Order: sequence, then C-alpha cells, then structure tokens
Amino acid sequence: MKAASATIPVTVIGGFLGAGKTTFVNRLLASGGSRSAVLVNDFGEINIDAGLIAGHDGATMTLTNGCICCSIGTSFVDTLSRVLDAQPPFERIVIEASGVGDPWKIAEIALIEPMLRLERVIVLADASRIVALLNDPQVGDTVRAQFARADVVLLNKCDLVDPARFFDAESKLLGIFPLKKIIKTVRGEMPALSELGDATPSLFVADSPEPKAIDHAEQFRSWSYRRAGAFDRRALTIALAALPPQLLRLKGSCRFAGEGGSAVLQLVDKVWSLSASESGSTDCGIELVGVGTADLPPASLLDALLDRALATEAVS
Amino acid sequence: MSARFDRRSPEGKLVAGVPTIDAIVERLQQAEREMPDDGSPLYAWGFDPLHIGGKMLSRHDLDRVSTKRPVLVVHASFHINNVNTPTLELAELLRATDISGVVAGPDGLASGELQGIPARLRLFRALGHNPMAGGIGDADVLRFASSACVQGVTTITDLHNDLTDPTIEVYRRITATDEFGVRLVPALAAVSHTPEQAIAKLETLRAHGNDKLHYGIVKLVVDGSIQGFTARLRWPGYHNGTPNGLWYIAPEELPRTVEAYHRAGVQLHIHTNGDEATQFALDAIEAAQIAVPRPDHRHTLQHCQMADAAQFRRMKNLGVCANLFANHIYYWGDAHYELTMGPERAARIDATGTATRIGVPFAIHSDAPVTPLAPLFTAWCAVNRVTSSGRVLGRDTEALSVEQALAAVTIGAAYTLKMDHLVGSIETGKFADFVVLEEDPLTIQPARLKDVAIWGTVVGGIPREAPRA
Repeated sequence: MKAASATIPVTVIGGFLGAGKTTFVNRLLASGGSRSAVLVNDFGEINIDAGLIAGHDGATMTLTNGCICCSIGTSFVDTLSRVLDAQPPFERIVIEASGVGDPWKIAEIALIEPMLRLERVIVLADASRIVALLNDPQVGDTVRAQFARADVVLLNKCDLVDPARFFDAESKLLGIFPLKKIIKTVRGEMPALSELGDATPSLFVADSPEPKAIDHAEQFRSWSYRRAGAFDRRALTIALAALPPQLLRLKGSCRFAGEGGSAVLQLVDKVWSLSASESGSTDCGIELVGVGTADLPPASLLDALLDRALATEAVS
Repeated sequence: MSARFDRRSPEGKLVAGVPTIDAIVERLQQAEREMPDDGSPLYAWGFDPLHIGGKMLSRHDLDRVSTKRPVLVVHASFHINNVNTPTLELAELLRATDISGVVAGPDGLASGELQGIPARLRLFRALGHNPMAGGIGDADVLRFASSACVQGVTTITDLHNDLTDPTIEVYRRITATDEFGVRLVPALAAVSHTPEQAIAKLETLRAHGNDKLHYGIVKLVVDGSIQGFTARLRWPGYHNGTPNGLWYIAPEELPRTVEAYHRAGVQLHIHTNGDEATQFALDAIEAAQIAVPRPDHRHTLQHCQMADAAQFRRMKNLGVCANLFANHIYYWGDAHYELTMGPERAARIDATGTATRIGVPFAIHSDAPVTPLAPLFTAWCAVNRVTSSGRVLGRDTEALSVEQALAAVTIGAAYTLKMDHLVGSIETGKFADFVVLEEDPLTIQPARLKDVAIWGTVVGGIPREAPRA
C-alpha cells in the first residue's frame, strides 16, 4: 500500500431515525466548499437542487460543486474502498451512520486506516423525542450507545418544543454525558461543518479510548475470589467463558486438581491465559481479583460461576 | 475445511471434521502444501470456537501453516476472521488492539481474531480484494444445485439475496437449462431496497421466473444471532449477563415496512432469533392485518428460536408460519444451555412440539451454509433434540415423531413458501419431485435418521444420481 501524502479528515454523522441526519447531509452537500465524498444509507431522502446534480448512476451522485454522494448499499467496505481509491483523493469524507447503528464503530475506521484521520463524530438528537427514546425499554440502549463517543451533539428541532421540553432534553443528555458539547439547532438552519468549531482532532484518539476526568470509583467495581481448593482445567474453561462481559479483567493465582505448583491466571476482555507461577508457592489455593464496569453483577453470582469450576475432591 | 463437524462437498465428497486446533492447523498445512509458492492467500471457512470448547485460533497457530502467505480462516458465522501474523502486519493491525474489532492476545498484540467493519476494511485493502464479495457465476449456481442433489433436496431457498442485475441474469440463464436439477426460491433482501423499490423489482422479476425459479418473497432481518449475543431478547435477557443484542431494523420502522409489503400482497420472511424481535415482528404483522386484512398471507418468521407458547398462539391467530432452526439444538445447544439462555429456555429452543400442538404451520431448517445442508440431519435434530455433547434438550415436550419431522422438511416447507400446490408431496397435478433414499426412514431407529443414505433426486420426473467422490 502506498502511503498517502496527506490524510483525509473523516466526519461521522450519527443519530436515531428522524433525528435530522439527512437534513444535515443535504445542507453539507449544497454548501460545497471542499471536494467531499458523502456516504449515505439511502438516496431516497437526499434532496439536492437539480441544477447542482451533474450525474447520477444509481449508486453515486456527482455534484457540480465537486462533491459526490454515494449510497452505501449492501457493502459498506466495498463502497468506502472505492472512495479511498479515487484519484485525485477527496478532501473530506463524511459518513452517515445508520439510524440504529453505532457511529463509533464507523469512526474507528479513521483511527486505523492510514489514509484517514478522524475529525469528529457528530450525533443528532430530536429535541421533541430524545427523552422518550433514551428511556425506551427497546431502543434506549441503542440510542445511549450512539452518544457515548460523540464530540458534538446537535440537539435538533428545537423550534418544535417549548422551553421546558428543551430544558428536559438538554439536562437528560448532560446528565448521562456531562462532558458533551451540545449545540442547539433548528431544522432548515443547520450549521456547516466549519461552524462546529475548529477541526480539532477527536477527543478520543486510538491510544486513549476513554475520555479523561472520570471518577473511576463510580465507573468500576472490583471483585475478589478466594477458595482453598483447586480448579478442574476443563471446567474452568467453561466457567471463564460464562463470566459476564462487564468483567473487564481478572488476575491472580490458582491451582489445578492433580497438578503440583500454582499458576497465574490473567483474563482481559474475555481472553485469558495461564502461566506457571514465579513464586512457586503451593499453599495459597485460589486467589483472584477482578475489575468490572459499574454494572458488574453481584459477587455472589460471580462466585457461583467460578465455584462450578472447582474440582470436586479438594487437593490435600 | 469443515471445522469440528463432518460436511459433504457439492461433489459428494465427505470432508471429515477437525475437532482440535492441532487438527485444524494440520488440515490447513495440507492445503498450503498443494498451493503454488507465489505468496497467494490461503482462505478457509467453517471455524466456530464454541464447537471446540471455546478455543480460539491464534495468529501463532496460523503461523504454523505459513509465515510467507496470508492465511485467513472465516468463522462459520462469516462475522469473524482469524489471520496469521504476516496478514496482521500487511494490514497494519498487529498493534491496533484499541479498535473494538481487533482482539488482543495475552502478549498485548493482536491475537489474529478480527471482526467489525474497520478491521475488515483494513484486511481487504491489504489483501487487495474482498474474498467474500464478487458476483456469482454459472459454475457457482450449478455447484449449489449439485449440493442439493447430494443431500436429497428438490426445492431450495436462497433466503437473503440483493438480486443485482448480474445475479438475476445468471439465475435466468442457468435455471432454464436441463443441467440445473433443483427448484430455486430466492428471497429479495429488504435491506438493500426501499419497500417501493423492492415491490417494483418483484414486479419485473415475475417475467424471469420459470418452473425452476420462483421469485416473490422478501426477507427482513430484525435482529442478530443468539450465539453471537446480537439477538434481541426479552427479560431476563442473556443467561450470562451479556447486554441485549442489536436491532437491524428499528422497532418503530418495522410496522411501516411490514405494512408496505403486506399491502402490496408480498409474502414476508422475517428473521427473528430472539423473543423480543419475534414480539415486535408479531406486533407489526398484527397492525398490518388490522390496517389491510389479507387472508392467507403466510408471513413466516425465520429461525424464531426463542418463541414461547404465547407467541406461538399469537402466530396461530395471525396466520403466521415459522421456520424453526432445528440444527441449532445440535450445533449450539450446549452454548445455549450454559451461556446464552440457560437450562429452561434452552429446553424449549426451536419449539417444534409447541408449534405442532398449537397448530402453527412450520418448517425446520439448516440455514446452510451456517450449518450443513442435509434435511434428514435437520429432521434427526427435531426428533432427537440432542446436543453435540449428548445433552438432551426438551425432548419430552418439543420432539417430533419421524413422520412429523419428514412432513416439516417437505410439505411444511412448501407451505411456508406458498408452493404447496406445486411441491412438497407426491400427488397428481404437482411436480414429480422426490428424493430417493437407500432405506425406509420410517422403519429404522429414529436415532439413525441422519445416517440414511441418499441415492439422488427426481426433479420434474428427471432422475439424478447424487455424485459420489
């Protein structure tokens, strides 16, 4: 692969159905400026002045201002690959995430593709229904995840709600994401990319995926597990696979039935390894310490999962 | 490669399963030795860690196959790839473990397990192409028909297809030849079309159909898979505490989409694995029936693996059919018992007994290529309800008799495709389609149902002996 002399900035636009993503994209396309490639889910609602359209082949719309708009179709990877191969390269790439998708999963492309750099993740919210969506038992989790790594939140359709409703929406979002930059917008008057502040690199770069200034005590919970016995190797494999994903790390020493010495167990994000203990101590049984997210299930449940892996006959 | 379990190739060759990491590596080494020494990539498919005790193939394992060429193993689900170290270096992913789809190994570097769009983009750009893309050609479609003959299948679905113009042309040309010996029923993928586009496309496709090509059905995908923890579950959710899965169509969008197709007279096949997805699909169909009552629509829930008795009763009342994924009991039943659903819900997975008692018309399936195409094996799963480790799941309440299971893979399946007037039973006026078996499945022990040998098929009165390699 040839190294790109200049990397192309990428902006990802997320938000649930009806938040105003397409309106925002329409405005971006019409305003022109740089030679942008805009990837959208569906041409259906793209509404561009006919005079601005230079060509349309069903999958790509070419505009007279130098921009193109591509329908993502069934293969996002193939569509983006074509855009990356364009000569001369585009000056900017804007990607519209799907209404039920997680924009961060798209943004990560710009963190590992050498031709790209992540400029920002913009997530739109419809002020008239964002509170209901965040509380919705079916889609609340999906909607919440969309905001988790947004650089800018556009609280849209503010013209449709009264001040009390707007205040609810804003405080609900700030309550969940206290550090977010929230911009109030109305339909028909969306800001241009250049009005969203400097094109500073995203707060979230590849080597520090978590935002700073977080109270770690509130974000994480620990769990310790001590037993006098020993594990059965096969049963432990099954028990470790059964541990919930909220458990981020687990580390410590343990013993195995019918084997001398002790082993060091390390588990990170469901991937685990065992190595011989350096200390050579043999009388400590099992001692493990785990760290998980705030919603880590109770210790009694986690204990029960690992207890299933204990060998039935305790080693003497 | 065929991973843990045996598979039979379209040419009739039995490919033995490879039950351990070492056996997998050895099989790949054999394949590698037969390749030219030009650095071209080695691709394999069919791996599933749940089938070999949760063990993952690491880059070090695949480095034993080759350190000179890219080695890429695609999981049975198609969602995950495992690659060797040279591939990670080529794609610049060895140190990219902070990307969510690049799994870290114990040494902190990438383990070789890759999933998600960002990792896939890097992988395919490094390899120079997407090995899973590209159109299908005449030879592919003929191999598909040959697989059907080997497994005794006379009508086969292609239940999620974008139906691009090149595909439509290949189907039109090949299905009209005598060489093509199976009836093909493709479902148009809703995800790549708006309902208006899809309905217009089906209108033009009707002219392309023939006796062996039946267009008309549309596929909607509501959620993901249970074993991938992406299915949408109702309370109490996943047994091991994994957060709920993903919506592939927003619940609020589903009623609009369903109504548009329902109004146009299209039969829908709706993928719902989790019971929450099933609930929303049923809500959408109920709303569409209230808005535009349509007798005998036969909308069918595909997989519908976690539906409880109350959901089957709603299906009965709404005129909805089910195509239950009986092979899951064998292939992932242990994972469902231990990790995803727990004992009680795992016992009623793919509830063929409940469907029979309530009177919901149903078929059973393999979801090939996710599990191997073999209707007698699928029938065996529904009759015996035994997992790959030998655990029995809900046999007392959910198992079918051999007669019921054979009906599910013949007339039951034909009914869910609205083709029961053409195929699915041997009757005057219908196509002379049947499978020729070497033994009578009704006189053998039910535990041997999967072992009944297949001589071949008769399609439209033309006998075809299955190829044997």
